[in-house]
Amino acid sequence: MNPIIRLVYRNLRANLDRITLFFELVFPLFFIFVQGFAFSGIVPPFELGSGRVISYPVFLAAGAVTLTVINGGTNAGTQLWFDRKNGMFEQILLGPFSRAQYILSIILTTLIIGIAGSLLVFAIALPVLGGAELTYRGILLTGAALLLGTIFFGSFALALSVMLKSSESFQIVSQFFFFIFLFTSSVFYPAERAPEPIRTISFLNPLTYTTDIFRAGLFEVETPFLPIEITLMSILAVTMFTVAVSAFRRIKV
Amino acid sequence: MSVIEVSHLSKVFGEKVAVDDVSFEVREGEVFGFLGPNGAGKTTMIKVLTTLIPPNSGEAHVLGFDVKREGKKIRSRIGVVQQQESFDQGLSVESSLNLHGLLWDVSGKERRKRTADLLDRFGLREFRKTKTEDLSIGLRRRLQVAREFVHDMDLLFLDEPTVGLDALARRTALDFFKEAVKDGLTIFFTTHILEEAEYLCNRIAVINNGKILVLDSPSNLKRRFVATRSVEFSLLEGYSPELLKRLESLEAVQRISRDESSGLYKASTKSPEEFIPSLYRLAGETGLHVSSIYVTEPSLEEAFISIVKENGK
Repeated sequence: MNPIIRLVYRNLRANLDRITLFFELVFPLFFIFVQGFAFSGIVPPFELGSGRVISYPVFLAAGAVTLTVINGGTNAGTQLWFDRKNGMFEQILLGPFSRAQYILSIILTTLIIGIAGSLLVFAIALPVLGGAELTYRGILLTGAALLLGTIFFGSFALALSVMLKSSESFQIVSQFFFFIFLFTSSVFYPAERAPEPIRTISFLNPLTYTTDIFRAGLFEVETPFLPIEITLMSILAVTMFTVAVSAFRRIKV
Repeated sequence: MSVIEVSHLSKVFGEKVAVDDVSFEVREGEVFGFLGPNGAGKTTMIKVLTTLIPPNSGEAHVLGFDVKREGKKIRSRIGVVQQQESFDQGLSVESSLNLHGLLWDVSGKERRKRTADLLDRFGLREFRKTKTEDLSIGLRRRLQVAREFVHDMDLLFLDEPTVGLDALARRTALDFFKEAVKDGLTIFFTTHILEEAEYLCNRIAVINNGKILVLDSPSNLKRRFVATRSVEFSLLEGYSPELLKRLESLEAVQRISRDESSGLYKASTKSPEEFIPSLYRLAGETGLHVSSIYVTEPSLEEAFISIVKENGK
């Protein structure tokens, strides 16, 4: 069996806390079914682009699916932290694996968790989304959004976990950053309608790109920014992955 | 045939020279002990040989592969029990053994067979469903040692493997290692428990301040570095100041004393062969009778202390 597959299987078996995974799933569902409907009375339906008008719960449901991408990203950092704390990081590097294979296995595990979580949330949110019908273009765009988002946020969490000295500080700092990403993105509101300077910040936010690409795929929306957002998100994902690998290579054993 | 060949190897961390121009070789099928005080450079040497960290200078070949260029080839044929504990959180003992086998690409059938055997051999069967994080330190250590035997290897690095184990578990582990050596395994072993090194090792290198001070068999080290041996004896008549005085004047005796509570006399001598006949002769001349006598064998610990102290001077 391929060494990376063996490592991914191991990552999925060890270190992943089922209760944490459960609440990572509940978190976006809470937004969809509680916040979405609570706000529907005060937020009227609006146009998303290409003449497509949607209600706020539908808008939020699509955004909440991309939330699982961030949660999956946190998992990547947590996995590395557990391995370092429990001595398994060195133990694995003493086996027939390279550092590159190990980090790749964590990213792949994060991808599996992120995408599986997103699909699950998506499936549960389908009644809200009105039984969305995805075209090939839509599947490609939603898939690309989840893939690039998971790579970016997974790599970001990995880089953070390498730099921070304790698991407690990793939890606090990563939550701080992820809240900034979350509340300055287009997950909860259309970025272009936000007041300055939040609008500018949200246009620089990778979670905005991830969410916009995902919604564009889901609702068959075409905006002039979409190709730019896809390009930027691809560059950011590759760059952050490179930063994570570079930080990871410097871990002292 | 040499399994490990190290030539003029050095490893530096900033200003600190952890390993300083070290050369040695480990032969196939032997247990090679690597002893030294805390911070002597033992773990650094293991990290270099297991390719976790590169050397700054010198050469090292493990199983014929260069540690600088062929790390993965080396790591696929070795096992390592690290000094620090390592365990997979959230897994049971049985799953942990099984998963370690899978990481090493051991077939499912073979993994199950070896897992069952190791659970019995290391006394882990009753804990097989217990989560690793719920085990005591000693049990986690047993699991960590057992885990390395799930996969095949030609060379095993043991970095203080018995820390935290009780006497029985320690002996079980040592006997298991001995058995594995009989089956062709080579072991590179570090420990602070010198009785273990004496029990297990064919040859021992003593390292201090990054340099190898001496390399020899345990018996030769004791012969070379423990100059005196102690002879303990008692007299039927109990205390005799006259005999004590006459024994003190013997050339073979370095020091002699009597323990009031046990009534035992204890003599330090370079030559028990000379001292014992003299004792019987002098006791006879003074009308006394030796009721018991025994010679204490020099220990590896005495040799180790003597080597390290000599180097310190």
